[in-house]
Formats: sequence, C-alpha cells, structure tokens
Amino acid sequence: MAKILIVEDNEMNRDMLSRRLARQGFEIAFALDGKQGVEKAESEMPDLILMDMSLPVMNGWEATEKVKSNPATKGIPVIALTAHAMAEDREKCIAAGCNDFDTKPVDLPRLLEKIKTLLAAKAG
Amino acid sequence: MTDNKSLALWKRVMMKRSAIGKENALLRATLENMNQGVAMYDADYRLVTWNERFVQYLDMPEEFLGTEKTFYDYIRYLGERGEFGKNADIEAELKKRVAVLDTSHSFERVRPDGTILEVRRDPVPGGGFIAIYTDITARKHAERQLREDEERFRAIDAASPVGLVIAAREDKTILHFNRSFCEIIGCEPNDILGKSAASLFGDPAEGAALAAILGGESGQRSEFRFNRFDSECCAMVSLADLDFHGNKAVCASFVDITDRIRAEEELKQAKEAAESASRVKSAFLANMSHELRTPLNAIIGYSEILVEDANDRGDNASISDLNKIQSAGKHLLGLINDILDLSKIEAGRMDVYLEQIFLSKLVDEVKTIVEPMMGKNNNRLIIDCPAKIGSLRTDLTKLKQNLINLLSNAAKFTKDGEVKLALSRENGEDGVKRIRFTVSDTGIGMTEEQMSKLFQSFTQADSSTTRNFGGTGLGLTITRHFCTMLGGTIDVASKPDHGSTFTMILPDQAAKPATQQPAELRLARRTNGVKSMKILVVDDDPAVHEVLSATLSREGYELLHAHDGDEALKMMRQSQPDIVTLDVMMPKIDGWSLLGIMKSEPSLQNIPVIMLTIVDDRNLGFSLGASEFMTKPIDRTRLVGLIKQFTHTKGATVLVVDDDPDVRLIIRQAIEGVGLVATEAVHGRAALDWLDKNPAPSLVLLDLMMPEIDGFEFLERIRKRKGGHDIPVVVLTAKDLSEKERVFLAERTILVLSKSAQPIGSIGNALAAIAERGAAEKAE
Repeated sequence: MAKILIVEDNEMNRDMLSRRLARQGFEIAFALDGKQGVEKAESEMPDLILMDMSLPVMNGWEATEKVKSNPATKGIPVIALTAHAMAEDREKCIAAGCNDFDTKPVDLPRLLEKIKTLLAAKAG
Repeated sequence: MTDNKSLALWKRVMMKRSAIGKENALLRATLENMNQGVAMYDADYRLVTWNERFVQYLDMPEEFLGTEKTFYDYIRYLGERGEFGKNADIEAELKKRVAVLDTSHSFERVRPDGTILEVRRDPVPGGGFIAIYTDITARKHAERQLREDEERFRAIDAASPVGLVIAAREDKTILHFNRSFCEIIGCEPNDILGKSAASLFGDPAEGAALAAILGGESGQRSEFRFNRFDSECCAMVSLADLDFHGNKAVCASFVDITDRIRAEEELKQAKEAAESASRVKSAFLANMSHELRTPLNAIIGYSEILVEDANDRGDNASISDLNKIQSAGKHLLGLINDILDLSKIEAGRMDVYLEQIFLSKLVDEVKTIVEPMMGKNNNRLIIDCPAKIGSLRTDLTKLKQNLINLLSNAAKFTKDGEVKLALSRENGEDGVKRIRFTVSDTGIGMTEEQMSKLFQSFTQADSSTTRNFGGTGLGLTITRHFCTMLGGTIDVASKPDHGSTFTMILPDQAAKPATQQPAELRLARRTNGVKSMKILVVDDDPAVHEVLSATLSREGYELLHAHDGDEALKMMRQSQPDIVTLDVMMPKIDGWSLLGIMKSEPSLQNIPVIMLTIVDDRNLGFSLGASEFMTKPIDRTRLVGLIKQFTHTKGATVLVVDDDPDVRLIIRQAIEGVGLVATEAVHGRAALDWLDKNPAPSLVLLDLMMPEIDGFEFLERIRKRKGGHDIPVVVLTAKDLSEKERVFLAERTILVLSKSAQPIGSIGNALAAIAERGAAEKAE
C-alpha cells in the first residue's frame, strides 16, 4: 500500500485530499508547511509527495528543491499542486525538480492518473 | 532760399525802402511768393507793405489796407466784431496788444474757418513792426494726432493685463515697462527703468533666468518661474525684436500662467492617483481570485466526497441533492474564473506566455477534457487532425481555454448530433503560416441578430439561453480577446437549425515576444555545467526540429539539424556533435541502420545516441526494430533529465556485469584504456551486492543472459532501489530480443546495443566516452 505525504497548509484542502486518497487505498501522512514537509519526507519516506506550492515557513518550490537534493529523499516523486495554471508556474515547478504538477481545484481522477503513473515509474 | 533767409533779406530791404516809401518789383515778387502772410507797419502803425496772403489769412477788409487806417483802428475793428469776446473791454485789449509791439513776440490765432495761424511780430528800428503769419494748421493737426496716438498707446500700455517690457539686447537694461509687468513680477515701478532685468529680483537665480530668457530669439516663448510675495508663480514670456530709439532691443510680453500651471500639476497628481488606484485594483483582483476560489473549492470538493460516501451507502436521495450543490458550485467557479479573466483583460493585465506547442498532443488533451461533455446531450465528437500538423508558437493555456470553450458550447447547443474539431495548416496572403481551427456542430444554430451580439460581454444569444443551456455568457468574449492577444482571428457562420461553425485562425508564430525572465533564469542555471553542448537532431519531420529547437536551445544547447540519414552522416563527419537524436522511422536510412553505420566508423563511434520515434504505442515501435527510444511528443522533462545524465554522472566507475570472463576482460581493457575504472561482476546478484556496498557507478554495462540473476531481473531490482533510477544502464546482448523483452528494456535502459552488430572495442569506446564525459564535468 503506497504512502503519500500531503504537504498542504489549508486545513480543508488537506482534509478533502486525504479522505479521498485514503478511500482509494493510500496511506496518508501530513505536513503543514514547507519545512515540515522536508523533514517528514525524510522521516516518513513516502512513495510520493503532493506538495502545495504556496506554503508558510518555506514555500513549495524551496521545499521541493531541498527534498530533491537530499540523497535520501531525491528519488521520491513530487507532484506540485498549484492554484495557477500559467506556463510560468509550470516552468517554475519543473525547475524546482517536481516530477509533475496539477492544478487546484483538484480533479481527482486526473490527479489519481498522475499519481499512478509516477508510482509505476518509480517501482520500475 | 529758405523763408527765414528771404525774410531777413526782405526785412532789410523793406526797412530801407519804407524809409523812402518806395517799392521794388522784385521784392514784390518775393513777397507774393512767400508761403507766409507778411505785413509791415511804420512808426505810426500804418500798414505800409503787405502781401496777398496776408490779406487772405486775415481776411482783411479793404479799408484797412494801406496807410489810411492805423493798426489801432484795425484792433478796434476786431474788438467791435466781437473777436475778443462779447463783453470785452476793447480799449484794454488794444492797450495789451500795443504794449508788446516793441518786442519780438509770437502767438497763435485761430481763424473762423478753423485755420491756425502762428503770428510773429518783430519791431523795426525807428518804430513800427513786421508781422509774419504762418499757416500751422497741418502742423497743429499732426501734433494733435501724435498726441492722441501717444495717449492711446499709453492707455493700452497702462491698461493691458499683459506685462510689457522693452529691454536693450546688449545689457538687458529696461528701457520701457508697463504697470502690468510690475504687478506680475511683483516689483515697485520706481526701481525699474534703466536697471538691468536681472537686478529686479532678490534671488540671483531668478534674475539670471529672466536675463537668459530675454536673450532669446524673436518669436521665442518660454516659461519663467519666479517668486512673487513668497508664492510660486509662472509667466509665459514671448519675445519680439524691436528697434527702440535707435537701440537694438527686445520687446517681451509677460502673461501670468500661474493658475494654468497649478491646474496642470493637479491633473498630473490626479492621473497618478488614478494609476495607483488601478494598481491597487489589480492587486485586489489577484487577491480576490484566491479568496473567491478557496471556499468554492471546499464546496465543490466536499460535495464530491459526500457523493462518494453516499454512493458507498447506496443513499440515492442524497446523491441527487449533492450533485445539485456540486453543479452550482462548479457553475459559480466558472463564472468567477470568467469574470476575473475579463477584469484582467480589461485592466490590460492579462499576460501572454508564448511557447512551442505540439498540436496533436494538445488536441488529445482537449479531447480528453471535452469528451465527457458529449454524453450529456448524446453527441458524437469527431476529431480531424492531420498527423503532420506540426507545432505552433503560442500561449498554451489560452489556446486550450479557447478550444474547450468552443467545443463545450457546441456540445451544449447540440442534441443527438455531431461536434467536430478540425485543424489545418495554411499560408496567408502575406506568406505568414497559419493554423486554422474549426469547431462545427449540427445544433440549433443562430440567427443573424444572435450572431451580431455573440462576442459581447454578458449577452448570450438571448436571455433565456443561460437558463436553458447553461454557461456564463462571457466565454466567447474572453475567447475573442485571447485570439486578438495571440495575433489571430475568430469568426462564426451559422443558420438556425443548421448548426454553427466557429473558425479560429492563429499565426504559426505568435508575434509578441515571450516574457524574458523565465528563459534567462533557466539558462543561468544550465550553462554552469553544459558549456553549449552540440546536439544533432536527425528527423525527417520538420515539426520535431521545431519543438526540439525551441525547447532545447532554451536549455543552452546548440542544435544542428539533419533531415535524413545521408545528411546526418555528412554533418557528423564534419563536426562531431556531443549527442545525436535519431528518428527511427526515416526514409532512405532508418535510425537503427544509421546507428549501425555510426558504430562502425571510428570517428563516430563514441557519439552517444538517443533514439526517437513518433509512434506513441511502444509495442508498435518495437516491432519495427526500434529498441531504446523516447516517445514523441517529447516529454521535455524526461529528455532533459536524460541528457543531464550524460553530463552529470557522479563518478568515473563503470560496472561491467557479464558472466563471460573474456567479454569482461575486453571491456575492462577498453575502459581502462581511456583512463576510467572498471569494476566487474559475474552476474546480477554479484552486481547488486557490489551496488549495496559502493557508491553508484557512472554506468552499468549489462549482459542479459547471466545465471543467478539475469539482466532482466537485475534491471527490475536496480530500478526499485532508491537512487537506482538514475544509473545509466547500457545493455549488451547477443540475444535476439522478443518484443516483450524490448519493451521491458526500453523502459529501463538508455541504449541497447546488440553485441553482434559491432565489435566490442567500439562499444567500449562509446561507453567510456559517456562515462568519461561525466567524470570530466565533475572534475571541473
């Protein structure tokens, strides 16, 4: 059963995501800000990270960069969740090292598709 | 002879002659010719000589001409005529006149007809006098005219609200000024004349400024700012050249424009305030965007969750209600998005981000999004997109939004019918390449009137449309704005009950340059390690060249282009690229054969190759002979990642996994021959053990057929490890691969080289080159 780390500061978004993903059979871990996200990435070693981009303490891009430069966690796929669908934001996410990105509001089937793809690639 | 001279002469003569009482004809002629009236009275005051003009001027009655009557008689006559006034004392007047007769005197006399005479009397030695009468009417008239002119000028000068100053060109001394000038400048009239213009002001800077203005050219207008009684003032000064009493002078007019300047300042401030307010509004909009969407997301999200829960429980009643909530939430979200978009567009704050877009991929994405909408009204979606439609440089988000909008509209207004999206390439009249997007449906269509209102905000075809068909009424307005921003056009053709066709035409290369910042940021990062690597792209499809060009050149790579195998080989031999991407399916020489040729040429052997194929279906690709590839449309992230691996491998170690000791030996020698470290493992398990204990190698060279754990299983396991994903693995095999095996390998390897196709030596060199490059980069 794959473990997903959700890094999201908004309580409702976190709640909605975790419940719906849990229903799909994933194990869920939380982080409430970017710094916590980086810490939990290492301590929880999830199979995938859903990273909200606008976070307090440390923002999503920085957190992703930190996760990707830590040898222990660099292999964990990261999906950026952002409210903005503009091309510049896509570029920014890729530059930070995100493996994929999705826009909010979350379209669950679309997000699930991306999660499954990344988990399959990782598993080999 | 001047009159004075002739007069003097005549006087002298007359004195002589009168003494003897005789006249000379010559003198008579002189007298009559003179321009003046002349009369001479002897010592008894009898008129002894006179001229005709004298008679005319005085209108002298005959009786007084000659010596019969005296001067006294004449005076008395005048008095009786009333010339001294009604109740004049004639004798007194006579006395007055006689009293002065022995002195030279002159006076003016006005005749009844208005003529003005100047009368001049000089006594004659021995008694008597000579009187000369000169008509000075004209002179007087001229004098009066001059006086009147001067008065008029003075009046204007004094009354003019415009300040006037005449100053000498040379030293700016004030030669003339008027009251208004004093009032405007704020100085006392007393201190002005003769002073230099500069000295009028306490502040030397102001004085200098005025002097400078007065030095300007005729016709020049300047603004002069100065202080008047402690308040800031401004005058408009206009100059004209003037000759003033023989001096070269300048005439300057001063108009007080202080009020006007103040009004301009206020206007400028108001404009800045308005702009600032506009900025605040934009920031507000951006904020609002987030604030509005967040609670809506909760409404939509939680109602979706509740629907799922209700489904689980089989609670159908709730599902219907919950769907209504969700649907309303989504509609509201759509409205908010549209309104915010429009506000942004109208505030001029909607940006365009241009990039190269692969159209067939876009069409697939759009299809996925709109397909669910077709089911509602039982419509069929048809896509007509040519395989070689190629790419387009435009704003992806906006184009997508437009297509989705048009297609969802078509679906909304069509029942049991067809919705079709067609793309085609065309050349405009100006030679500009364009893409035509056509969205057509077999729906209810529109009337001429409805079409005319189509693109206006907030007017759907008619007011009942929203209720019956849904939508926000803003979509097409936004669509048209986006078209304009991308340099394109949108048109509609429709007939009631016969469906509608929307045609959007966009230029192949959108005109507006992309925002500079993101690209520059990227380049800065890349050029640290890459140093302008040369990539040779070999593909017969021009679209691939476009896309790779656009994407990779931004990464800092230099791209070379070849369109078939022959051209590619020629270019490779000329200047060796650092990496070659090969299209598998090309006419003449296909990619795989080309690879074979490359590996057999010493100068080309070492160049790393990435195979590309247009076939999305990997299996199909395999059956055509392709082994390792990346699928097109190219996933840029993955492509970049792969290339990165060639240049950022961590160490200089090559792990050789092969159960044949001879092969291992040859490869080891090849690798060590180029100064790298070779490590051997006899089979998969040994290799895995080695990997457990050592840092990851730059490369793994893998044989497929090995005991214990063969190549396939090794790959499975290595990819499962943390970090195992990153190690480049090159598979050497003598085995002919089944399709399944190819698929498996393709997903996990960079390159599959068939051992039988080339001598080991060249493989070794190729591999060493890959690893070496990584080591070299690392060392710098």
